[in-house]
Amino acid sequence: MMLILEIFLRLAGWLVLAPLLPGIINKVKAWVAGRRGPPVLQLYYDLARLWRKGVVLSTLASPGFVAGPAVGWVAILGAAMLLPLGPAGGALSFRGDVLLLVYLLAVARFCTAWAALETGSAFEGMGAAREVSYAVLAEAAVMTAVLSLSVLTGSVTLTTMLAPAAGAGAALLAAGLFIVLLAENCRVPFDDPNTHLELTMVHEVMVLDHSGPPLAAILHGASMKLLLFALLLCEAVLPLGRLAPAAAAGALAAGVLVVTVGVGLAESFMARLAFKRVPLLLTTAFLLCLFALLAAWKGGAV
Amino acid sequence: MTAGMLLPVALLGLATGVLTGPRWPRLWVGLMLAGSAAAALAAATVLAGGADWEWRSAFPLAGEPVHLRLDGLSAFFLVLLAVIGGAGAAYAHGYWSGEEQRTIGARGRLWWSGLVLSLALVLVLSNGLHFLIAWELFAVCAFFLILLDKQRPEVRAAGWLYLASSHAATLALFAFFALLASRTGSWELGPMRTGGARDAELAPLLWLALFGFGLKAGLFPLHVWLPSAHASAPSHVSAMLSGVALKIGVYGLMRFSGWLPVPTGLGWTLAGLGAVSALLGVAFSLAQNDSKRLLAYCSVENVGIIAVGLGFALVAAGQGDAPWGRLVLAGALLHVWNHGLFKSLLFFGAGSVLHATGTREMSRLGGLWRPMPWTAGLFALGAAAISGLPPLNGFVSEWLVYLGLFESATGRGAAAGAAVPAIIFLAVSGALALATFVKAGAMIFSGAPRSPAAEHAHESGPWMLGSMVVLAAGCVIVALAPGALFPAVARAAGAWNPAWGAPAAPVPLFTLGAVNAALAALFVVAAAWLWRRALGNGLRRGLTWDCGYAAPTARMQYTSGSFAGIAAGWFFWVLRMERKSLKPRGTFPGAARRVERVPETVLEHVIGPASEAILRVSTAVRRLQHGHLQSYILYLLGGVVALGLLVLVGGAR
Repeated sequence: MMLILEIFLRLAGWLVLAPLLPGIINKVKAWVAGRRGPPVLQLYYDLARLWRKGVVLSTLASPGFVAGPAVGWVAILGAAMLLPLGPAGGALSFRGDVLLLVYLLAVARFCTAWAALETGSAFEGMGAAREVSYAVLAEAAVMTAVLSLSVLTGSVTLTTMLAPAAGAGAALLAAGLFIVLLAENCRVPFDDPNTHLELTMVHEVMVLDHSGPPLAAILHGASMKLLLFALLLCEAVLPLGRLAPAAAAGALAAGVLVVTVGVGLAESFMARLAFKRVPLLLTTAFLLCLFALLAAWKGGAV
Repeated sequence: MTAGMLLPVALLGLATGVLTGPRWPRLWVGLMLAGSAAAALAAATVLAGGADWEWRSAFPLAGEPVHLRLDGLSAFFLVLLAVIGGAGAAYAHGYWSGEEQRTIGARGRLWWSGLVLSLALVLVLSNGLHFLIAWELFAVCAFFLILLDKQRPEVRAAGWLYLASSHAATLALFAFFALLASRTGSWELGPMRTGGARDAELAPLLWLALFGFGLKAGLFPLHVWLPSAHASAPSHVSAMLSGVALKIGVYGLMRFSGWLPVPTGLGWTLAGLGAVSALLGVAFSLAQNDSKRLLAYCSVENVGIIAVGLGFALVAAGQGDAPWGRLVLAGALLHVWNHGLFKSLLFFGAGSVLHATGTREMSRLGGLWRPMPWTAGLFALGAAAISGLPPLNGFVSEWLVYLGLFESATGRGAAAGAAVPAIIFLAVSGALALATFVKAGAMIFSGAPRSPAAEHAHESGPWMLGSMVVLAAGCVIVALAPGALFPAVARAAGAWNPAWGAPAAPVPLFTLGAVNAALAALFVVAAAWLWRRALGNGLRRGLTWDCGYAAPTARMQYTSGSFAGIAAGWFFWVLRMERKSLKPRGTFPGAARRVERVPETVLEHVIGPASEAILRVSTAVRRLQHGHLQSYILYLLGGVVALGLLVLVGGAR
């Protein structure tokens, strides 16, 4: 009974809190630019509106065009349920769950890219090609980061891996994971989530032809992915396992807020990179994670 | 029913299949299905915990008594062979049903039965000489299957290349078995580790086996024959070659590394070859524009994953039974099954497309989900499975391999330094495989049809679809019940290394199976729910918006080359794409074109030039022999003088 209640609470938390993050980022950007900006809850209004709207489907699209967003959304939610929440631990924890988390995110990518190609649009093909290509480098960085945590703690289970701090390599890991967060969530300098109709986008161009409830699923899934990466980054870096539960929860929440504001600031002060430079930045992220791995390796067992 | 009773039935079914194939297609399908079912059951009884089956006869064949043996490892591979053999026969019945296919079909059925039979014999024969005979039979049957459509010159070229490399492998194996027999004094095969002085003598022989079996398995620099052979053969033959025949190379490596003493460097070499195969195989795969070549190169990747598993298992065994070795070995074994299932499924799908449209070129396909919904759905399932995505079977075996490597890395043993790069290589090749199969699936089945052939496609018949459904079901079963199947894997692992045959999974495989089941159910529920919501809100069909194009055409779609462009560019150093383009010029531009070809780099840039150089040298040397007696006397004189000088200068003692 308690377990069901716990899972329900977790689900509700992820579903309700995730859309807050894009709102905060937009508020920060507006604040830096001296504008009033949209309300923090804007995404909630958008989602509610989209959920009630009708759907225009391309004549070329197969049922996979609607199934894609649904499956991708479930995959991200599944990955989120695997992620332990500081002192609360994970809803389901077993040896090797970290690999399932990484591959569930890959499922979401597969679905988004596949659905994008359903319409036969050149723009969407371009976005999907960029998404899957940059993911190759991001995947290498993520796996290296996981490896460094694993080497540090001698474990392949998320709850154990994320309990201590990343040790000497914490700063390196934080920088590497932050870059991966920006890339995986299609943020400046990799992508600009606010532009449309430009040839230089990744995520937004993939979902150009989606509308109504499927678009709502995609947007909500994207916000959950952002929250997931922010949490992962904080838990990898902060020594939550050594704090009292209340302090750990507070530190986690503060950490997520800092990351979110950081994303907003990065978006305010940076320009989008030329697309030829994107692999370079992602390789930098990979190298940062690799150095964190080396630091963990040399640091000895905890 | 025991294996001893079922195997003769299987043998009888397959052998009469060879005889009836050319004349009576219906009878042939029945016999093949019955024979495959009997073989599968026989193997299953062994895997389910039955005793090994062994049969010796005094009856000599080529001077050696016949000795058959079905142990855990043979049975493990025999199950796969039987499933693909049966499904492929059913598929062939649909594929070769047309009138114009009559002669091809007749010959194809004959050689197909021969191939399945000789592969089964390779798995059960336990005498070096007979093994070689069956091995050669299998190579020849495969050669004639590749050559079925011999009117096309590229098919003949592929067949020739296959035969040449196959014989290079056979030569190495011939040396291997002959040296083995001369060292042990018998052609009999079986466990040969004594722990004595003979071990040091036998161990180096495995390098020969690595070359011979590695070439058959298609490990990276030895894979040159594979893409063209698999692309040119009829599709179910490609499925058999990629799904099973490559695995026989893996079987050989596993079999003899289990039986013979292993040289120290072999595990490391195999793991390194595997990691390189995994990465470069999928890079080549991504750059292809031919659907079947894409699938063939992807086999190089998957064999690489298996080789990484086996290589690290050898390292672990060499270091005294590290527990992570069991995980990587279990992953490698399970991946043998998984790759056999989803690769065959994908080749069947590509074959259905080829059957319906007459082309393998992905830039001429597209939009096929509408005329071929079943093929499209099954291909999508196979694509997700081969990309290693949960909740499908590819993820389960890759998860085991990853887990073993992670434990090796965290254990900080001698293998940890190699496990870290192996994990990163596997992660990168996994992400590239995802790109490859998003491309393959979407270019073939979604978007607008790019040619009239794609527009007028038709769905395949029940025989072809039925065999695809069976393979897809196999993928789902492995995904949902990995824990229940683990004892079979453990049985095979136990045949490889008796200490490693613990039937309980060392990892939470049952949990993973349950998670997979829950995910699969949630995926279906969510898709149905979203679809209902969309319908309820009102669903309207319209042109692809595409930022406001009024009349989008198929020519505006992203092509397979452009989709792969970014990632393929990173691998330009090895892919060496040849590009020819005619740019549009002038105010009213006329014709413009861009042609891109991905050569088989190792073959065209390494082996080709090398063999040309050898030929040039030998042509030059041949000029020395011309029939002029006086010149020969001059050579003789020169030789004697040189020898004399050598003796004088060297100071004879």
